[in-house]
Amino acid sequence: MSNRRDFLKTTLGASSLLAVGGAVPEFLASTARAADEKKDTKGQKDTVLVVIELAGGNDGLNTVAPYGDDLYQKARPTLAFAKKEVQKLDDYHGLHPKMAEMKRLYDEKRLAVIQGVGYPNPDRSHFESMDIWQLADPTRAHTSGWLARTVPGMTVKDAGVPGMYIGTDRLPVAMQGADGGVISLADRASFRLQLSGNASARKSLIENLNGGTDDPAKADLAAFVRKRQLQTYTSLQKIEDALREAGGSGRGQTNEFVNGRFVRRDPDDLNTLSGKLGLIGRLIQKNLGTRLYYVQLDGFDTHSGQAEMHGKLLGELSSAIGNFFSSLQGEHSERVALMTYSEFGRRVKENGSRGTDHGSGSCMFVAGTQVVGGLVGKHPSLSDLTDGDIRYHTDFRRVYATLLDDWLGVDSKGVLGDSFEKLALIDRKKKAPAGTGGTPVPAKAPNGTVTLPEAAEETVIEKE
Amino acid sequence: MADAPLSPDLSKVDPADAWKPWRPAAGAWTPKWVAHLYRRAAFGPTPQETEKALAIGLPKTLDGLLAGEPDAADRLDLLTESGKYYTDTTSLRTWWLYAMIEGGHPLREKLTLFWHNHFATSYAKVRSTKLMYEQNVTLRKHALGRFPAFLLDMSKDTAMLVWLDSNRNVKGAPNENYAREVMELFSLGVGNYTEKDIQEAARALTGWHHDTEVTRFEFNRDLHDPGEKTIFGKTGKWTGEDVVRLCCERDACARFLVAKLYTFLVSETPPPKGLLAPLETEFRASGYDIAALVKAVLGSNLFFSEHAYRKRVKWPVECALGAINAAVPGRVPLQDVTDPLAKMGQALFAPPNVKGWRTGTDWLNSATLLARNNFAERVALGTWGKGGRPPRNATFAFVAEPAKVESPSANAPPPPDSKFDVCEFVYAAKPKDVAAVVKQLGALLYGDTVPAPVAKKLETFLLTPVAAPASGKEAPAAPPGAPGGAPAKPPEPAPPPKKGGAKKAEAKKDEPKQEPPKPLDPKDVKLESPEFKARVREAVHAMMCLPEYQLD
Repeated sequence: MSNRRDFLKTTLGASSLLAVGGAVPEFLASTARAADEKKDTKGQKDTVLVVIELAGGNDGLNTVAPYGDDLYQKARPTLAFAKKEVQKLDDYHGLHPKMAEMKRLYDEKRLAVIQGVGYPNPDRSHFESMDIWQLADPTRAHTSGWLARTVPGMTVKDAGVPGMYIGTDRLPVAMQGADGGVISLADRASFRLQLSGNASARKSLIENLNGGTDDPAKADLAAFVRKRQLQTYTSLQKIEDALREAGGSGRGQTNEFVNGRFVRRDPDDLNTLSGKLGLIGRLIQKNLGTRLYYVQLDGFDTHSGQAEMHGKLLGELSSAIGNFFSSLQGEHSERVALMTYSEFGRRVKENGSRGTDHGSGSCMFVAGTQVVGGLVGKHPSLSDLTDGDIRYHTDFRRVYATLLDDWLGVDSKGVLGDSFEKLALIDRKKKAPAGTGGTPVPAKAPNGTVTLPEAAEETVIEKE
Repeated sequence: MADAPLSPDLSKVDPADAWKPWRPAAGAWTPKWVAHLYRRAAFGPTPQETEKALAIGLPKTLDGLLAGEPDAADRLDLLTESGKYYTDTTSLRTWWLYAMIEGGHPLREKLTLFWHNHFATSYAKVRSTKLMYEQNVTLRKHALGRFPAFLLDMSKDTAMLVWLDSNRNVKGAPNENYAREVMELFSLGVGNYTEKDIQEAARALTGWHHDTEVTRFEFNRDLHDPGEKTIFGKTGKWTGEDVVRLCCERDACARFLVAKLYTFLVSETPPPKGLLAPLETEFRASGYDIAALVKAVLGSNLFFSEHAYRKRVKWPVECALGAINAAVPGRVPLQDVTDPLAKMGQALFAPPNVKGWRTGTDWLNSATLLARNNFAERVALGTWGKGGRPPRNATFAFVAEPAKVESPSANAPPPPDSKFDVCEFVYAAKPKDVAAVVKQLGALLYGDTVPAPVAKKLETFLLTPVAAPASGKEAPAAPPGAPGGAPAKPPEPAPPPKKGGAKKAEAKKDEPKQEPPKPLDPKDVKLESPEFKARVREAVHAMMCLPEYQLD
């Protein structure tokens, strides 16, 4: 017989936040409400959305290649894939040759390939376009990200952290403005407060100092800092517990002989997409309760020498996603959907440096057991271009709206500020294919594991 | 605030008044405003700098900041020479941190940092400490110079050429990468150019390459497109130099740069329309004299007003060096700062992308804020690496291997942490009671008085002895309170306790009482006792975790 107060007490554990009075963050309070409301609906688990940002502008035309089109072959004398190379989806479309795992998901009818996605008057600046996608707003009038706006309307049962960003960068715009309902986790070891000695008294002091002195009506910078400080401390304990219980993949480190030297591979390394998705999978199976996860794969700005880098990145993407779903037990894989997006596609014609320049219109993937697999929408025509770019036909917010309404159960109009025609992407009755889940896929080292460029030098992961 | 305060509604402030030089009334030039100026124009004041600034007044202090120390030119030579020898990023970062703290010209370093973020270039792609160093020298050279010459040098900077694929930009197959960023991010801002301008500027920039050894700029005439281009409606056989010139001729250029500097030096709250107009006019008229602009801003009425006070979130570098300057007596080993900086989200020489770091409240998410908390722990408890550097007042010198410098052995070696003991500056003010200790902590860390409710809580904390640990050992963080879930065996070992620190401060007598200890009567507290000093250090940590420290 838990009531809200008890729930908060147990959730907050040893934190002294309760003593602080009115400073309990709203997202925790709504968690408590959710616990009250949902305690009778046993067994019904919340759905989870994993978003993968492909940063830099992924070349959609070499991700889902219209290999059967002469115009494609002509526009890309060095970069186009031949019929023999692609992971064939049909006589016209083929996935990038390195995307074997995505092809498998496609064959299992768990991968939707949404074509010709974009928005009006495309912006070819990385930052502007990324903002547009992440704010879900071509006018950029919103001041918070679309996932952040999703948080308040979303029920979260088991934990007080509705959204989590796993990465070492700043919090992505998509998740900004959720008033700390979102946390970011740079790496496991460093997400820990260091207080040597007199720890609980010191922690109480800091919580007390940050909790008690503000005029609640004031929403200034100082109040913001105090709130962040409290939210950080609250999250710490919960995440630490969850991470400890989630553990590692159990696959251990391996040494592999690559290009004449030994390279240590750690499947749990949070510098790789595989490592991040692996951790997310385990957190999901541990019922952490977080419903939005956000990760990035960077390096898609392939202005020159595209073939090798792009292949590596898509190979990493494909094997990471494949492993992720293979490792999820059936009941969990049925409640997880995963979406990829990039800020724009690239010009149809390759440039003089065997690369491609910023373009518009691209493809998105939505994967999951309860995702309706298949090609969604036609491939945009290569004979009808604007400024050398394909024409989009599907507004990306239709994908968002579908995931909000049909998957997360959050009113899409409230989040997006407008109604968008939905796509047939979700079927809540589908079951995981037989034989999946339970046993993690044997340590198939992801093909061409790519260390995220920005994490290469400057992030120092604390390793024991 | 001193005389004639500006309206609390910034939109009602006359821009002309806002940018007039501030002439503090008698008694208005206080430690608060000295600290404010030093936080923005430098990396926070040392106690000595505060004292000096109060003595000589604002105009001389400001002139001094713009000119640097009398020997700044010599230090710059040495700095520039020594920087050539670092071949790994940690050393290069440490080298720059040295320059910030001891280069004798903190304002120049502060602006160099600003421009590093403006012309954001990352080692992650450039992969050469030499080129990153050379770019840093160029940034420093022009940091307080004139923008057109600066932009031209940056357009030919080798690291920049690598970073934005300039060698791929050739006649007949232009690569637009640099052309776009020079307008979007370096000079004009979004919305002040067309896609066509970018395409044409890319043609004008064809052939602006680096040599095959990647050591310097090289104009490749054969690959330059000499034809006519139309940029911003002007047609000619434009070259790369013309692109830079044409950008600088646009009105948007002064607007864009002044707005960005305002955010950096004054406030992260967007200014009302028209407030910056006088600065823009003056900046253009001066031929983009950055030093004059900076001086006008830093000496203005508006700068010394509540519209600017604590209206920024400290950048990680400011957060780290500010505490070191203000509260740590010794010369800390600055290589100990590079890793915390990365965790706080600001690895120098590695901004996340060409747009630079996301600043303002974006600096603070739970991971980066935690890193700030943990850095505060290092400052407060003095858990720096071994060695440190020779005392600050020793003859100025850069050393090739900072890590290997031993502490001066002439004096008896102090206990491990004492030379970085934050208590030294606190006790230098000879506080006679607990309230005076808190007051001095506020002066050092905030440059300001501590708000009364905060002061009260800190005093109570200082007076409260450490609780006797019930089970002998205190957990590093709060004990796990997860209900139900039997904690599975931890698959990853617990982190090693922080070096040093762990043992001390726990040596309290072990009375087996369970209720939390009560604060002592102020009369019963011995300010000089090791126990009390331990509380003082812990209070420093707590105070750094408050907005009064995190805001600038």
